[in-house]
Amino acid sequence: MSTKPAARTPISKVWEENAVPRHRIQWCPGCGDYAVLNAVKMALTRLELMPHEVLLIGGIGCSGQIRNYLNGNALHGTHGGPLAYAVGVTMANPELRVIALAGDGDTFAIGVENFVHACRRDPNVALIVMDNGVYGLTTGQRSPTGGLGQPQEEFSEESPPAFNPLRLALAAGATFVAQSFSGDPRHSADVYVEAIEHPGFAFVNDFSPCVTYNKFNTYDWFKQHVELVPPDHDPTDLQAAFRLLDDFEARGRLPLGVIYRRPRRKKPQQRLPMWDHELADVDLEPMLRTFR
Amino acid sequence: MVTNRLKLLVGGVQLRDGVGTVVDVVGRILTRAGLYVLANERNYASTIYGAHQFDPLVISATPPLSHGDNLVDILMALEFDSNPDVPQQPNRDTILRHGPHLRDGGVLLYDSSTGEVPVDDLVARGVKVFPLPARQIALRELRREVVKNMVVTGALFRLLEFDMDQAYLRQLLEERFLRKGRELVELNLEAARRGREVIEQVLAAQGWRDVGYRLEPVPTNGERRLLVSGSEALGMGAIQAGCRFYAGYPITPASPLLAFMERWLPRYQGRSLQGQNERESIRAALGASLAGVRAMVASSGPGISLKVEEFGLAGAGEIPLVVVNAQRAGPSTGMPTKTEQADLRMMIGAGHGDFPRIVLAPSTLEECYTMIQEAFYLADKYQCPVFVLTDLTLAEVRKTVPEAFFLEHRTPPHREGVLTEAELRRDGYRRYAITESGISPRIFPGTRGGIFKVSGTEHDEFGFVTTEPPKRAAMMDKRMRKLETYLREDARGPQVVGTPRGNPVLVGWGSTKPVLLEARERLRAEGLDVAVVHLTHLWPFPAHLVRPVLADAAAIIVCEQNWSGQLADLLQERCLLPTRRILKYNGRVFYVSDIIRGVREILRNGATEFRVSEFVPVTVEAHEGD
Repeated sequence: MSTKPAARTPISKVWEENAVPRHRIQWCPGCGDYAVLNAVKMALTRLELMPHEVLLIGGIGCSGQIRNYLNGNALHGTHGGPLAYAVGVTMANPELRVIALAGDGDTFAIGVENFVHACRRDPNVALIVMDNGVYGLTTGQRSPTGGLGQPQEEFSEESPPAFNPLRLALAAGATFVAQSFSGDPRHSADVYVEAIEHPGFAFVNDFSPCVTYNKFNTYDWFKQHVELVPPDHDPTDLQAAFRLLDDFEARGRLPLGVIYRRPRRKKPQQRLPMWDHELADVDLEPMLRTFR
Repeated sequence: MVTNRLKLLVGGVQLRDGVGTVVDVVGRILTRAGLYVLANERNYASTIYGAHQFDPLVISATPPLSHGDNLVDILMALEFDSNPDVPQQPNRDTILRHGPHLRDGGVLLYDSSTGEVPVDDLVARGVKVFPLPARQIALRELRREVVKNMVVTGALFRLLEFDMDQAYLRQLLEERFLRKGRELVELNLEAARRGREVIEQVLAAQGWRDVGYRLEPVPTNGERRLLVSGSEALGMGAIQAGCRFYAGYPITPASPLLAFMERWLPRYQGRSLQGQNERESIRAALGASLAGVRAMVASSGPGISLKVEEFGLAGAGEIPLVVVNAQRAGPSTGMPTKTEQADLRMMIGAGHGDFPRIVLAPSTLEECYTMIQEAFYLADKYQCPVFVLTDLTLAEVRKTVPEAFFLEHRTPPHREGVLTEAELRRDGYRRYAITESGISPRIFPGTRGGIFKVSGTEHDEFGFVTTEPPKRAAMMDKRMRKLETYLREDARGPQVVGTPRGNPVLVGWGSTKPVLLEARERLRAEGLDVAVVHLTHLWPFPAHLVRPVLADAAAIIVCEQNWSGQLADLLQERCLLPTRRILKYNGRVFYVSDIIRGVREILRNGATEFRVSEFVPVTVEAHEGD
């Protein structure tokens, strides 16, 4: 792997092959997801991975289309499912680099069950959530992270306050929690490199503005509110991570960078047998013995 | 004197009275002694402790055709009163519930630790009654309540004049307890001896020489036999078939399979996952399958309902998956611990949109073993969900099977339609290539030279999203062509016993086959020739193989354990043949007498359908959970 920062490495053309041509990408002009796409390509280039080594699992929604916009094996399943598929993939073949790419509705609403338990199970998966606070593909309904930073006087069952995915991830036992912003793809790429290299479940919440349906959380709004995690923050300290979130929240700021990173000690796993020769000559004797 | 042919029913309070332990010990020992055991009607409650549980056991020198009727020869009631002062005495529960089904001249053995039970009505029918203070002997004399099970087992063996030298029992106890010390083995043997003594005292006091039933070992000529459950046979078949990833979620009656896979898959370098919910289970299995591993999930009705969304993904994304549905009585939570066959319509239709699927239904424990292997082959070949429909009866059946059966019915796993690096041409690979057969070769991710884009969204040959009308139509046609290929190459017609032409035909699917076969025997003995036609391959419906078999039948009588007659409807729809129906949906298995009564009602009285219902008076009200 190159020692240069991700952003300084030219994107390898290999990630443009076997993908929907650039001119047919169906995101609105200015969509934050373009920056995520570029940052993912930068990170993959920097990591010197080959497309056949990665499996991209896309969620339902605008953001999940990203799987077809770059090279690499891809799966696109049901709404809320990416992390559950990912658990099976990594259990079956730990050698694959699995990257789940989904939206905030997919991950924090219909798929929140899988998000919480992925934090516990710690599969070797990097999850990049393209968080824009709306269900863009279905014309802009509010998602669990909708209303971020928006003053609201009264609340109701229909319009609860915005949800904080970073706190949920930390509380659920995630071993890697980070945040990035599409307005700064070079920084995002560095975060993604760390996430993909993390030996476990790595969650990156990326602020990816929806220019069509979210007129509040705009690029300008984010630029005014984001702030890099200070260099003296100790990401291996869970309490420090919570304190950092408290501090940023109190100041009305949104942290960018790695907030928590503490790999868990894990049992080594092998790829499961799958080829004919690995499955031939099954010895039933140990099982049969118990029935005699 | 009846030798080596009887039906024993053991009943008691769930978890407390050791019904399961006694049946397991007796079943194993009799299997070792060369006898055939069939426990096909396990009845337990959806509570852990306290409800009535019973487990009938057919014992015979030759493999029994079925569990027969609900008549029993020997009744063992293991309850005692925890409080003898309460008016409703639970230690009469087994006797009250099953006493009426005890054969005239049969045997009743009950725990009399907390007092004798009035059984004048049974005595009047010639039943030989043996009060046995088993719990008292265990608790007061031997100071270990748990050996009650051995007191009971010892007494039963003495009744049947079996294992008089305790050689079989000693062998089993040594295998189980010698690790914990010889004293434990001796204590259990002593318990068994005390049980025998009580029987001998009663025999002497009543002046009976024997009870009219006995068991004796049968030489097996070196053939090794096993006592296996349906879930175990299915799990073993799956491992043999190369299944190395299993995902489940606790649900009756699929949980025994989860336990089996958790225990054994790691021994074969596989992994078993208990999902956080039914959806995580099937999604993880799809992920594992996509990654290249043969994967399976199992559940029962309520869990299957939750998985339905993913069936469509397996169909449209063309991801192989084996799904076992161990049916139980529905709808909704239904009766979690009672058997039924009411999910056929769901399995052939569940999910939105049209997609290819295959539905198989094994009808015996042996077919659970062979058909699960077939299911994995078909899933790989057709890259679609393959459903294996069993039910609570098949999941819980325990049965004596020759070991050779499992060794002789092994199909070496072959992963069909998987390309390797050498077969791929860079950028030339199309995951969803349009083919004549509808099957597009797949690759396992990680293979150099090939990239796939798998999607449940409509896609072109590369897997990229499309809604272009010609591409959509071509892709839909391609997927659905797999069904034609299947019908041509792999569909199997029904199993036929007897001559359907000109005769009444009993038609069934799933676990009812043994009962239909025995009903046929009995009807033939009465002079009525009937045939049995049993379907195992249910979808895509092999009408071209089924219709010719049934077209000339005198009457098509479909026997199913559901309310509507789901197979009957399917037969009428696909074969355009009229059907009559025998239906049972009270949670109990079909008995042979149910079928005989139904056939008479239909053939003699012209009924179009016969619904089996028997009113069983409630003796002890039990409120079960789920």
